[in-house]
Amino acid sequence: MSYIPGQPVTAVVQRVEIHKLRQGENLILGFSIGGGIDQDPSQNPFSEDKTDKVNGWDMTMVTHDQARKRLTKRSEEVVRLLVTRQSLQKAVQQSMLS
Amino acid sequence: MEDCNVHSAASILASVKEQEARFERLTRALEQERRHVALQLERAQQPGMVSGGMGGGQPLPMAWQQLVLQEQSPGSQASLATMPEAPDVLEETVTVEEDPGTPTSHVSIVTSEDGTTRRTETKVTKTVKTVTTRTVRQVPLGPDGLPLLDGGPPLGPFADGALDRHFLLRGGGPAATLSRAYLSSGAGFPEGPEPRDSSSYGSLSRGLGVRPPRAGPLGPGPGDGCFTLPGHREAFSVGPEPGPPGGRSLPERFQAEPYGLEDDTRSLAADDEGGPELEPDYGTATRRRPECGRGLHTRAYEDAADDGGELTDQRPAFPAVTAPLAQPERGSLGSLDRLVRRSPSVDSARKEPRWRDPELPEVLAMLRHPVDPVKANAAAYLQHLCFENEGVKRRVRQLRGLPLLVALLDHPRAEVRRRACGALRNLSYGRDTDNKAAIRDCGGVPALVRLLRAARDNEVRELVTGTLWNLSSYEPLKMVIIDHGLQTLTHEVIVPHSGWEREPNEDSKPRDAEWTTVFKNTSGCLRNVSSDGAEARRRLRECEGLVDALLHALQSAVGRKDTDNKSVENCVCIMRNLSYHVHKEVPGADRYQEAEPGPLGSAVVSQRRRRDDASCFGGKKAKGGWGKKDGEMDRNFDTLDLPKRTEAAKGFELLYQPEVVRLYLSLLTESRNFNTLEAAAGALQNLSAGNWMWATYIRATVRKERGLPVLVELLQSETDKVVRAVAIALRNLSLDRRNKDLIGSYAMAELVRNVRNAQAPPRPGARLEEDTVVAVLNTIHEIVSDSLDNARSLLQARGVPALVALVASSQSVREAKAASHVLQTVWSYKELRGSLQKDGWTKARFQSAAATAKGPKGAPSPGGFDDSTLPLVDKSLEGEKTGSQDVIPMDALGPDGYSTVDRRERRPRGIGSAGEASEKEPLKLDPSRKAPPPGPSRPAVRLVDAVGDAKPQPVDSWV
Repeated sequence: MSYIPGQPVTAVVQRVEIHKLRQGENLILGFSIGGGIDQDPSQNPFSEDKTDKVNGWDMTMVTHDQARKRLTKRSEEVVRLLVTRQSLQKAVQQSMLS
Repeated sequence: MEDCNVHSAASILASVKEQEARFERLTRALEQERRHVALQLERAQQPGMVSGGMGGGQPLPMAWQQLVLQEQSPGSQASLATMPEAPDVLEETVTVEEDPGTPTSHVSIVTSEDGTTRRTETKVTKTVKTVTTRTVRQVPLGPDGLPLLDGGPPLGPFADGALDRHFLLRGGGPAATLSRAYLSSGAGFPEGPEPRDSSSYGSLSRGLGVRPPRAGPLGPGPGDGCFTLPGHREAFSVGPEPGPPGGRSLPERFQAEPYGLEDDTRSLAADDEGGPELEPDYGTATRRRPECGRGLHTRAYEDAADDGGELTDQRPAFPAVTAPLAQPERGSLGSLDRLVRRSPSVDSARKEPRWRDPELPEVLAMLRHPVDPVKANAAAYLQHLCFENEGVKRRVRQLRGLPLLVALLDHPRAEVRRRACGALRNLSYGRDTDNKAAIRDCGGVPALVRLLRAARDNEVRELVTGTLWNLSSYEPLKMVIIDHGLQTLTHEVIVPHSGWEREPNEDSKPRDAEWTTVFKNTSGCLRNVSSDGAEARRRLRECEGLVDALLHALQSAVGRKDTDNKSVENCVCIMRNLSYHVHKEVPGADRYQEAEPGPLGSAVVSQRRRRDDASCFGGKKAKGGWGKKDGEMDRNFDTLDLPKRTEAAKGFELLYQPEVVRLYLSLLTESRNFNTLEAAAGALQNLSAGNWMWATYIRATVRKERGLPVLVELLQSETDKVVRAVAIALRNLSLDRRNKDLIGSYAMAELVRNVRNAQAPPRPGARLEEDTVVAVLNTIHEIVSDSLDNARSLLQARGVPALVALVASSQSVREAKAASHVLQTVWSYKELRGSLQKDGWTKARFQSAAATAKGPKGAPSPGGFDDSTLPLVDKSLEGEKTGSQDVIPMDALGPDGYSTVDRRERRPRGIGSAGEASEKEPLKLDPSRKAPPPGPSRPAVRLVDAVGDAKPQPVDSWV
């Protein structure tokens, strides 16, 4: 999914709500994230899901660290994510074409 | 007619401190005023001084009393013209924090496994915040320092002043209850001379803006002149009287002016001629009662036919001496009364009208008074009278007061509704269930619910929900509340206050719960009703949005680390109760039943999938250790796949989704509220019971979420019931084979320590409850059954001496029996006999112990572990219950703790001690720490599944 920065993007998204686990001082979600606008996309260990929004915050234009911080904010016990994935996108496209 | 306007909520709730300061200033000002006037009087009014010896020149404060009492003396009347007018109106808002306020009974009800409920009434002292607003008018003072009133109630203002001073002097006493709804004495009384529906009310209506026709002899005429300040009416209409600065309510004076009873007494003044001045007020009142009673009642009877007669009939039964009615208050104000009455009586010499308390039948009759403020005031006074006074509560019921109050809940005037509800709240409180039943019988529950739906005023909502909470502690009312109130309570209170959104907006972050009093009351009410058996549970589970909202509220509590409060406790208790028997009761439960409930762990085996890589929980495979187990253990139990859902769980499904485990574990980690801890452990216990698929998932999820160490840690709790709930939860969790191994390895030391504490409490009075000891023993039995390794752990933890000692010494048959079951089981492992005998134990020790313990109970079950473990708890704790493994903990027994301070010293010193010491580490829930190397004597079983500590890579962050 490519897009031009600054332009609206249309994507098929899945809404996910995650209740974090308290672990000592931290709230953790229990998965790993990769990527970020400061990262080399070719090195990205994960390619399935893309996170578009976290609790309403746009995540398409953030650095890796910004994303990590946003996801693990201690003041928020719950995160609501909008994620998208290639396969989802394709499935929808196909169903629309056929 | 004068309105008894209610201040807006905002003004009522205005800053308390500021108001108190203002009030104090005002009091001082008043005092100064009096002082000033006293001097004036001294100079101007010698003729007025009647009684000898008490000259006006007396030093304060006695002088004031004198002056006050002389208020109506001709002299003072004469000086009216010269008195300064001070028509300032001050409005005061006083918030009286009362502690103890109206205590609310919290009945914790636990549904036990057999479906019976145990209820434990905990008297929780609630802080009742009574916000009262008053208007203080600096009435024009006569030279005697009193507001100038007509023949009216000179005592009113006087009482105020005297009381104020009284409290200044005494610094206030224990707070009483009174919501001071009544009209302010001085301010309330004066009225413009408009005789609206005057005739029939007689004296009653005077204080309420209706001026009764004044019979000639009624009072000194000239007083009328004082009534003309235009400000009076506003002042009056604001109504409620202040509490004094000390936070003290002044119960006794309040009736006089608003109801104008003094007119009646005054009219009797002639009869009272020469009445003994020292006679207590009641005496006087009694003598006058027939007279004034007639006045009141005739009116009342006109209004309402049916109960009026009743009231009259009851009157004789009502003790003539009214003192008991206001006993508590009387005590506290006794000295004041004396101050007033014992003073050489200027007043009696001049036939001063006296004030008296209205009697209960009169108060109840006022509830049907056509004038609304009378109703409101009567209800408020009733609330005050009922405060912690079971006798009055009973009498109100006998006098048929409850239907009157319930009827007022639908009254068009908000003030009336509120006061009636306040009275009902006090009346519904307490162990005496008859009032609760009476409220039900006259349709009180639906009326309260209607009021809750209609009310926007927060105070009313607090009162309604508080009343419902009180009512909900009475078993027969629980279903009634569910029938009439569940929907309303859920949709009006629980859902909106929980922060849960039916249609979440992904562009906003979730709302937090608001821990309001209304929410607390409502959750307390639902907590109580949730214990009313299977049908109640079904209704609550199926109430749309309830479970979702409760979960959301709890999640919000965890997120904000605000997990100690009462609302959280209530919510967790509801969740725990609703989790009870989910595997049998929820719709479609049979679809999830597991085929083979039999041997331990088999269900898990049948469910597990072989998958060696990290599970979705991020847990890496446990390192080492598992290979040493037998073949079955070698396989990975961690990789239980949770069922895929096509859509998000909602409603009651949320109760048993594995996701809730995380919530309960967070609460167990975070909360310091023992009831919350107990309930959270109880919820896990309930969920991990039963033979359905979800219980299997829950048991595995607890392990994967690293819950076992959390629970084991809580075995050290100082609170008995927490230990018990945790022990039983561990037993249920050990139905999962792998949990059983982990618990056997890591919880054994703590369990044994509890057994040891059962005989030798670390400090006096810290002995564990029998139920707790039995629960711990049953858990031990469960984990040593069918597991040689765990039996070995028991030996290493030096459990055998502890058990033998318990069997020998315990006073409790149940404890001894449970302990001997464990011993029998241990002995049944032939592999262990060698080392047992080496330690000097003989078979007789194990068998005879069992035999003696079983002696009284009849034949021991042969070979007994299979049916002794689980059923043992069931039999002992739950009577009829059979076969199922869930046990509802919840009888709220007193927090009877035992110390855990010396826990290190108490650790076993035996062979395995070194290993145990180091192995203890992984029990801590600390993701950053790797599990230490396994101890020498134990296979490296890790209680904590490895954390998915992903290697830090530049492009990969563990969140």
